[in-house]
Amino acid sequence: MLPAVLAMEAADTGVQILALTDHNTCRNLPAFAEACEIIGITGIFGLEVTTREEVHVLTLFNELEQALEFGSWIESLLPQIPHSSRLFGNQLICDVSGSAYEEYDLFLYGPADIAYDDLIEETLNQDGLVIPAHIDRSANSVTANLGFLPHLPYSAVESIAIPPVVETYEYPVIQSSDAHYIEHIGRRRCFIRSEKNGFAALQEAFSTKNISYLGHL
Amino acid sequence: MKQLAEVHAELGYTVYTDTDESVLVLNGYTSDLLSDVMGNAAEDSALITIQAHKNTVAVASLIGIKAIILCNGRTPTDDMLASANEEQIAILGTTDNQFTASYRLAKVLGIVS
Repeated sequence: MLPAVLAMEAADTGVQILALTDHNTCRNLPAFAEACEIIGITGIFGLEVTTREEVHVLTLFNELEQALEFGSWIESLLPQIPHSSRLFGNQLICDVSGSAYEEYDLFLYGPADIAYDDLIEETLNQDGLVIPAHIDRSANSVTANLGFLPHLPYSAVESIAIPPVVETYEYPVIQSSDAHYIEHIGRRRCFIRSEKNGFAALQEAFSTKNISYLGHL
Repeated sequence: MKQLAEVHAELGYTVYTDTDESVLVLNGYTSDLLSDVMGNAAEDSALITIQAHKNTVAVASLIGIKAIILCNGRTPTDDMLASANEEQIAILGTTDNQFTASYRLAKVLGIVS
């Protein structure tokens, strides 16, 4: 999915805040940032990290530079396995016009060589938001792979089902599309209420739990 | 070493795929972490796991694994089946857990008596 097309489709669907979180890489974020700027949608910059336990965790950052730095650190922790585009799909790195200028050769399926707890801590140390992804999924979720949701200072947790079908304790719960294809954009979403904009609005909504799931895009 | 057809006939496991059953299975590998499978499993093995999704097929194909045995009653997703048929990797299913499936397969393959 081209970063600019993602931003355009999301804006058309009515999405106002959109995060791009490729698996274990930030390389498409510069094009995404540029596209969001042109289209006038609020872009959030992040990546979906695969931990050593093969748990998927969303990490989000305020500034593109922060995300890029965090992303290259995660890339340095990936296994040195060549990618197979036939089996896992293309790993194209694009510019804002949609030209692919790189086919990334490292196997982005992961996992990064970092423990789940350490990733949570390090993301927060870097002023990121950290969100265990699709915690109610039977594969690659903290609930499936560890058997429980450890008590750690998550910014929020992401659930596919609302209300969640797994224990979420007092953590703020978000719902998001996990769009791997154009047609998935906006298939799940949530609403936040905040006086602030962008990343600060997310931070505030998570800390006040001002998140709702009712309504239409 | 056994042909896949003999393996599932002797184990009585459900077969979900339509693949060449004359392929030979040499060994088994039991793991639920795909990165571990990728790093350590040998080709021509049967993979014993509960990871019933498409990425398991991709990892199996990279390594040359011939069959995936899904344990604890887990069933393959539709896209897992489509990809397995395409890659010619058999998917079997059982209510046995991974330990039981492992020692039963080892016995069928003649690795243990």
